Amino acid sequence: MINTATQLLSTSKFDGLKDKIFPSDVIVIGGFRINDSVISGFIVVFVILLAALILRLTVIRHWKTTPSAAQMFLEWLVTFFDKSADEMTEKYSGLMGPYTLGAAVYICCGVLIEMFGLRPAIADIGACFALALCTFLFIHTLGFHKNKARRLLHFLNPINIVTDLSVPVSMTFRLFGSILSGMVIMDMIYILVEGIWYIGLPLILPAVLTPLFTLFHAFIQSYVFASLTLTFVQEAIETPPKKPKRPKKKVAYANKPL
Amino acid sequence: MELLVTMLANLLATDGALLGAGIAALTGLGAGIGMGIATGKAVEATARQPEAVGKIRTMLLLGLAFAETTAIYGLLVSILLIFVA
Repeated sequence: MINTATQLLSTSKFDGLKDKIFPSDVIVIGGFRINDSVISGFIVVFVILLAALILRLTVIRHWKTTPSAAQMFLEWLVTFFDKSADEMTEKYSGLMGPYTLGAAVYICCGVLIEMFGLRPAIADIGACFALALCTFLFIHTLGFHKNKARRLLHFLNPINIVTDLSVPVSMTFRLFGSILSGMVIMDMIYILVEGIWYIGLPLILPAVLTPLFTLFHAFIQSYVFASLTLTFVQEAIETPPKKPKRPKKKVAYANKPL
Repeated sequence: MELLVTMLANLLATDGALLGAGIAALTGLGAGIGMGIATGKAVEATARQPEAVGKIRTMLLLGLAFAETTAIYGLLVSILLIFVA
């Protein structure tokens, strides 16, 4: 028993984890580097485009008033994002609905690709920062488009500038941290389970724990990213309140009975 | 006394990163308390006004995401301290 415990806890086993924290470069041509996260990112984009094409040619071509299951699912998915975009960003819902759906689908598929043994596309700090930067650009472009020059009043308070600049950083690290920690924990479980093959645990334990650390993270993080984007855009396109006019006191005094 | 100081210095030099990782994991405390309070309040609100459950759920999930962020930062810092430092 003690032997197994020491065997499990020996740190030399976990040395392989060190290389998994940051993506490793696969192709290096001078200063141009391609790591494995980028490759799986391209695979994800290709798969999403292919799925969109197939859906366009099969399900959407046979659109009916009595919907099939696939049509129901597609309508539910699109309506879910369109409706929440409509509630939060009234005028710009035509722009924000498709953007949030696209970002959510990319994050979700980019994490789920881990189940095929590839490195998740989102477990690279560059991918997370790109998504967060898109949101940052949307927030400020739409804010200036809606309120024009009045939006500049928002930046008179220096605290607001710090808050705005911290938005992309916090979104980057939220996404990166949660996906990376899920991946590291799953790798740790694979390493731990190797030593106790005799109970049949390697077959069961990862299968039970994968939904916890990969599946839920994928759905929750994509939902959180979409709703946070919508919330920040809603905050930016709010019309600033006008200053209340001062009540004329002289008139009030004149009417006052002595 | 000198022996103690050198021992402490050695400990900090070799296992300081691991100690820091342990301290960084304490962020879970705050996040756990915050998420517990948020969920409890959401349950109260739902019990008081069951028809508003959809809105309450969206707000709860958003708040939980914000509260979870600090815990994720702590986890990230401790993972980096263990494996990279």
